[in-house]
Formats: sequence, structure tokens, C-alpha cells
Amino acid sequence: MAQDSGRLNQPPVVEVRGLTRRYGERTIIDGVDLDIGRGEFVALLGRSGSGKSTFLRALAGLDHGVPGSGRLGTPDAVSVVFQDARLLPWKSVVDNVSLGLKGQTPRERALHALAEVELTARARAWPMQLSGGEQQRAALARSLVREPELLLLDEPFGALDALTRLRMQALLLDLCARHRPAVLLVTHDVDEAIHLAQRVLVLDQGRFIVDLKVELPAEAGPRQRRFAEVRSELLSSLGVTQEELRRVA
Amino acid sequence: MADLSLTGGQGAVDPAWLNFARSQPAATAETPRRRRKLGPGRPIPYGAALGPALLLILWSIGSATGFIDDRILSAPWTVATTGWELIQDGRLQENLWTSFQRSFWGLFWGIVAGALLGVIAGLSRIGEYLVDGPIQIKRAIPALALIPLLMLWFGIGEGMKVLTIALITFAPIYIQTHDGLRSTDARFIELAETLDLSNGQFLRHVVLPAALPGFLLGLRFGVTYSWLALVVVEQVNATSGLGYMINLARTYGQTEVIILCLAVYAALGLSSDWLVRFITRKALPWRKILAD
Repeated sequence: MAQDSGRLNQPPVVEVRGLTRRYGERTIIDGVDLDIGRGEFVALLGRSGSGKSTFLRALAGLDHGVPGSGRLGTPDAVSVVFQDARLLPWKSVVDNVSLGLKGQTPRERALHALAEVELTARARAWPMQLSGGEQQRAALARSLVREPELLLLDEPFGALDALTRLRMQALLLDLCARHRPAVLLVTHDVDEAIHLAQRVLVLDQGRFIVDLKVELPAEAGPRQRRFAEVRSELLSSLGVTQEELRRVA
Repeated sequence: MADLSLTGGQGAVDPAWLNFARSQPAATAETPRRRRKLGPGRPIPYGAALGPALLLILWSIGSATGFIDDRILSAPWTVATTGWELIQDGRLQENLWTSFQRSFWGLFWGIVAGALLGVIAGLSRIGEYLVDGPIQIKRAIPALALIPLLMLWFGIGEGMKVLTIALITFAPIYIQTHDGLRSTDARFIELAETLDLSNGQFLRHVVLPAALPGFLLGLRFGVTYSWLALVVVEQVNATSGLGYMINLARTYGQTEVIILCLAVYAALGLSSDWLVRFITRKALPWRKILAD
């Protein structure tokens, strides 16, 4: 594909080689390799405790003192969105977004980012006055205003209700289409991974056991078939049996 | 996979059981059943004044009927007229001003020392090792036990009084500030790292605001302690101040003066506590939302 060949000419944004991370006796990440191309949206699935958050934290450079080895090539501009919005309660929403922002007119840029997530009206509010979805939108604005080359999302919609989650997913797709960062989304929601990502990885016992391109067709019929196919493959790789699948899905 | 368990749960409900539940007669429509409300009940405006007012009434009745001996506890009106006389000849203001100055300067140095040492111990390991130990030892010694030594070192002048008050008030401010700095939410520290904040930015935008509620709580304790310490130093050795007035009144058996001074202490304690809470509300506007 034209898009793929174009990507081949550019060096990947993320280049991980033989990454290993240990907690005590347990090897959480066991010598994994991963390339993420410019503008590529990758979702990382895994059961609880499979090490997907450990992997994301390693990419974010947040795993101080966790023993391990391997080569970790990440860009300078990396933004992280956590499951909790992590807004400082003593700063207004706009000040949270512009916090630590380098370069000219940080406040104007923060306001612009808030406009992008449709939060202009709440710019001067305290974070505690916002709903969960609004807080997460402010967190998205805070990460995007830094123009990241790599955006790391650690179950960003996990704490939101189903309706809000749907709207946030659509917003995230819009924002990523506009800013084109490389994205690594850690999630436990298989449907979310298929809807949002171009490529889905499954982490199990420290290794990627699945690495598939989603490639949903545009037409409704084939699209649904492909969706079901990918979903079934991912769920079974996560340990959901055919019997369980038949009963509930 | 929340939706999986949700659908599973709905499928498990037995339809026959549902029908049985529906066939039960609902509560009669004319008198919809309301549960009895539990809890302490609705607040009454100015209800907090009820207890003190009742106490004042009982005191007045007791004094008027002669049930309370005037030598044990003077009547409220005697206290009030004595207060008026003392204000007119200027003695009350004079002593109050002296006491206020001692308390103020003691508290001032207590805040400076408590906040400074709290920040030193809270921000650096070495600082904590050097500062925290001696302060914990000092805290273990009752403040009153230090007074003889302080008198030997500094005499019985104003310096010794201010120093004693400062020594007593700095402890809670130090502890709360130190604790506030040390217990900065690890999530916010992580956030600061991902935002590439410099050390200065991290301090200014994350650590200090996070420690401010702790400091203000310490301040509230410190203010209360400053009046406590005042009583101690003024009753040990003083020739002016509220404590001196009380001691003198005891010598002459003037219960009305003692009661008056106690009332002044109460007023000072309550109003300074109110002042600190007011400052807290102003300094932490983002917290007000919780109370509203």
C-alpha cells in the first residue's frame, strides 16, 4: 500500500529492541521488539497483570528503578494520558493545560487546545467542577498542546460511563487525524482497540503473542464481518473460550 | 470487559420470578409510603448559639437566686460592669495589648521557624536527617519543662516569653508542613515528570500548593497553642498581661476579674481560629467547591 511504503522510508517513531523489565523474580516484559511508525495508531491489549502498563510506563520513561535491559528509542516529545485525568486541583483548567508549556504564548495555545476538545467554556473552572468526561478532555488537551510525536494512553476511558466513552473515542480519532502523533493505546476493551487502532498487539507473559493489522473495509457488510473476525481472534488470544463467546457475544 | 458481565447478569434473571414480583400489589396509591428519615435532623439557624445561651441563662438564674455564691462565681452582670470599669480606666486594653504582642511575635517566629524547617526537612533527605530528629526529641519534652532552663538563659523578660511561645507554636506548623510536602501525591509527581517540569516549576506548581493545606492546618493548631503558651508564660513570671491580671485578681479574691479574663481568652481563641479558617478559605479557593 502507498501509505505503508511511505512509512518505510521514514524511521519509526518508536524503536524498541529486546526490552526486558523485571519485578523481583517475575519477568514482566520479556525481550520484546516493537516499531511504531509516524502517525500509526497501535492498541495494546492484555489481561490484567500482563504487563501492558509496565510496557507503557517504560516507553514514558516513568519506570525508575525497575530493573531491566534492552534498547528503547522514543522521541523527545512524548505525552501521556492516564486513566485518571490527573489535573492539579489547585489550578484552573487552562492553567493545567498550559503547565510547563515551553515556547511563545502558552496561555493562548492552551486555550486553543481547549477549544479543540470543546472545553472553552470551562477554561476558568476548577478541575473538581468538571465531570469525568470533561476532566479527561482537559487531560487530552494538555497532552496535545505539547505537539507530541508519541502519545501514550493508559486506559484513558476506563473510568468513564459507556456513553461518554463513545464520544471520547470519536473525539480522540478526530484529534489524532488532525495532529498525526504515533499512538500507543493501552486498553482492556477489545472493541475499543479495533475501532480506534490500525494495529492491535496482545501482550501475554511478557511477549506480544498477536500483532495484527485491523484494516476494516469501508462497506458496512464486509466491515462487520472483518470486525467480528478480528474480535474473535483477539478475544480467543486473551483466553476467552469459543463457548463463552457463543453465550454472551 | 464490563459489557460481557452485564449481559450475562441480565440473562441469568429468571422470568418466572420477575412475574411473581410484579403480581404483588403495590403500596396504595393515595398514601405513597415514605421511609422514615434517619440522621440528626435539619439544621436550625443560629442553633450553635443555643448551648452557650442556655449556660448563660442557668448562670444568671443561679446568681440571681443566690444559688451560686458570689465568691465562687461572680454574677454575669458583675463581670460585665467590672469589664466596663476596667476598659474605662484603660487597664484591660493595656494588658490585652501586651498579651497580644507577646502572642503575636511568638507565633510569628514560630511560623517562620516551623515553615522554614518544615520546608528544609520536606524537600531534602539530608535536611530531614539533620532537622527531624532534634525536633522529634524536642517534641517529646513537655514545653513547660523547658521554662526553667529558658529563664536561666534568657531571664524573665519579654525575650524569654516570646521564645517560649515560639517554641510551642512552631512544632505543629513544622509537622504539618513537613508532612504536607512529603505526602505530595505520587500521581502528581509522575505527571510533573511527563510534563518535563524543571525543579523550580515542580516546586512552585506542584509541591508547594500540595503542602499548603497542611501548613494551614498546622497554622490553626499553632494559633490555638499560642494562646495556651501565653497563659503559661504570663502566670509564671509577669508584671503585665492577661495572665498577670488573673494572678493579681486571685490574690485579692476578685472572681469577676478572673471570669472576665477567661472570657477575653475565649474571645481571642475563637476569633483567631475564625481568622485562620477565613485565611484558609481564601488561600484554597478550589476547596470551597467541595463544601458548597
